[in-house]
Amino acid sequence: MVELSIGQEVEMEYGGKAEVLGVIGSGGQGTVYVVRYNGMKWALKWYDIDKMKNPKAFRKNIQNNISDGPPSNKFLWPKYLTKETPDGTFGYLMELKPESFDSFVDILNTYKLSVNPLTGRSTKTPVRFTSLYAMVTAVINIVNAFRQLHRAGKSYQDLNDGGFFINMDTGAVLVCDCDNIAPDGSNFGIGGKPGYMAPEVVRGVAKPNVQTDKYSLAVVLFKLLFRGDPMEGEKVVRDVCLTESSELKHYGQNAVFIYDPDDASNRPVRGIHDNVIKFWRIYPDYVKDAFIRSFTLGISDPNKRIIENEWQKIFIRLRSEIIQCSCGRTNFCSTFKQPDSKSFKCPQCGTIFDTLKFSNRKNRMPLYLGCVFYECEIDPDSEDFQTIAGELVENRLKPGVLGFKNMSNKTWSVKMPDGDYYDIPPGKGFPVWQGLVINFGEVTASL
Amino acid sequence: MSNEKKGASGAETTAQAKAKAIEEAAANLMKQAPGAAALEGLAAAADQAAATVKKTAKEAVREAKAAAQPVADAADDLLDFDDDDPLSATSVSKKSLVIFFLIDTSRSMVGKKIGELNTVMEELIPEIRRVGEADTDVKVAVLTFGTQVRWMYNEPILIEDFEWSRLRADGVTNMGEAFRELSARMSRNSFLNSPSLSFAPVIFLMTDGYPSDDYKEALEELKQNSWYKFGLKAALGIGSEANDEMLEEFTGSKETVVHAYSGGQLAQMIKIIAVTSAQIGSKSMTLSDDVNHELSEEEVRAAKQKLLGQQIQDSMTNLGDADAISLDTGW
Repeated sequence: MVELSIGQEVEMEYGGKAEVLGVIGSGGQGTVYVVRYNGMKWALKWYDIDKMKNPKAFRKNIQNNISDGPPSNKFLWPKYLTKETPDGTFGYLMELKPESFDSFVDILNTYKLSVNPLTGRSTKTPVRFTSLYAMVTAVINIVNAFRQLHRAGKSYQDLNDGGFFINMDTGAVLVCDCDNIAPDGSNFGIGGKPGYMAPEVVRGVAKPNVQTDKYSLAVVLFKLLFRGDPMEGEKVVRDVCLTESSELKHYGQNAVFIYDPDDASNRPVRGIHDNVIKFWRIYPDYVKDAFIRSFTLGISDPNKRIIENEWQKIFIRLRSEIIQCSCGRTNFCSTFKQPDSKSFKCPQCGTIFDTLKFSNRKNRMPLYLGCVFYECEIDPDSEDFQTIAGELVENRLKPGVLGFKNMSNKTWSVKMPDGDYYDIPPGKGFPVWQGLVINFGEVTASL
Repeated sequence: MSNEKKGASGAETTAQAKAKAIEEAAANLMKQAPGAAALEGLAAAADQAAATVKKTAKEAVREAKAAAQPVADAADDLLDFDDDDPLSATSVSKKSLVIFFLIDTSRSMVGKKIGELNTVMEELIPEIRRVGEADTDVKVAVLTFGTQVRWMYNEPILIEDFEWSRLRADGVTNMGEAFRELSARMSRNSFLNSPSLSFAPVIFLMTDGYPSDDYKEALEELKQNSWYKFGLKAALGIGSEANDEMLEEFTGSKETVVHAYSGGQLAQMIKIIAVTSAQIGSKSMTLSDDVNHELSEEEVRAAKQKLLGQQIQDSMTNLGDADAISLDTGW
């Protein structure tokens, strides 16, 4: 292991030198430093080539990734390679993670540690999503990032909790550690992290690929939402000591999902898996069913795993089913009462919420002040889940009167209280009333 | 969800709504399981809670909660309104890993050896603080052996809270006694009492000489301990007096025994062994290089110990040469 020291200069492949300013952290493959290069600060990942099977091939793969470029701006992608030192050691530069993003590890821990450099003492700061909206948005962003990556014909290989940064206020996502990303079918020696690896990788019968990424993605999503391990229940805890062979058994040969409807042998244990027990009750069935499929049929048959596009649809729907009640209760509509098929009722304060029915899907969207729908929800050809198309607002001149504002760039045709249809151009609004019909073009919505 | 923010009137409506909801829930339960006498009692409790709302909102909330509890217990799928916030997560359930440092504090360690060791351990602890990431709680226990065998703290301490207390050297090398003490503590009833899953511990022995007591019998006893059997063992001989054969007996493999002949080497080796073993110990399996067949239990057994040996040996080849002053001279 050749460690770099502060102040040391590292020669870059295409000239210039990067000066080491400090250490960010160490991982299984090497150490990440903060460096200055061309007047800017960058992160330098510096490899421990002793731990690599084939450093030359690994370096070549990074070179290819650099020239291909990132699939989207959601990736902290390798930018520049360093020269190789005489013994073959090298590293690469990538952009630094912005301050406003927290690591997935800290999110799962629910706190981050900051260490006083003088005393070595550490203090904890809480890390949690500031809104349910941000959390579901983060899930959509993660799924979308992997969809983009897989569409580019590449696989991430060692998808795990070390691979993401998330903005806890907005749900924005940055995928990091992109150095193992390789064309689907290639592998440069990385196996993955236990608990995230697909069972066939644990068993030794497959190398990481796009299909095993899908398993790992399901684990990442499960951990983010349910805050527990999908395979760790009673059956596993009974082993007390997690040895290599018990791991092979519980995560490979005989992996059993904790909520497998046909096998109750591995249910979560109260006192240990309280998060999962609590959250499993909250989520609607279509979300739970997707995880059940991933972790039952998807264990033995990689083709039965949920594809990214399907996850994306599931969580776009979940986002549209959040209710923010004025009493302070924010939750999915599945946890609200349903006095009839067209409305929800807050179990805490009794407020009734009307719903909007879109012609392209079965579920109804609950309406509350500030609720929004997105381009992809009103245009079947759009995949844009980030641009808001409409928002429920209060009329500025008539307090208490609610209506939708057209925030898209298309004109909608809307049925008004007088029974006639009117054109509503971008920027204009219209009241919500019992007979409301909105024609977006291919999709219509009615109350 | 908290009532304090919304003032008294808000709290009152909330409490009313809650009590009402409980009433409804209890009524629902009655429908689902008619004849369950206990539920009638619950409904009555909820009724009463609802009645109290008129007196004070706060009291009602308290009573409503008390009434809600058994209702929630009776039917698991019934939501407890106070605790269904998808954001109110606690930390994920973690596995636990204890790193045992067994450190020779006999008289021969006095001076540079113990000085170097104290310094490197002080620096090491903050460096490996984050090694467990989100999966593992890493704890540290330090057992020293001179004439007396003693623990630095009475129980393994979470690495985030661990503070190194400087060791002093004196007396003979009662290593056998230390093995006995370790074996006694490596038990579900003692130091390894995490309610959740544990990884097999890391056991790291550092010594500069040969045991003064009869260690053989004690080591045999230790080897019967299952935690020891599955644990990751490594040993560091300090100076040329340390006996390799004895250390190999302890770790069970040649590759996990190393020697430090200078202060610089000592510091580097302690760090390498501690960091590597903590990483392997807390993350366990990695993909084996050229597996292309169904792995058997036999093949993965002791895979971590093998990996540790490999990584320690690989790191040693890159270590800087002995920096001038040998650990055995100059005291």
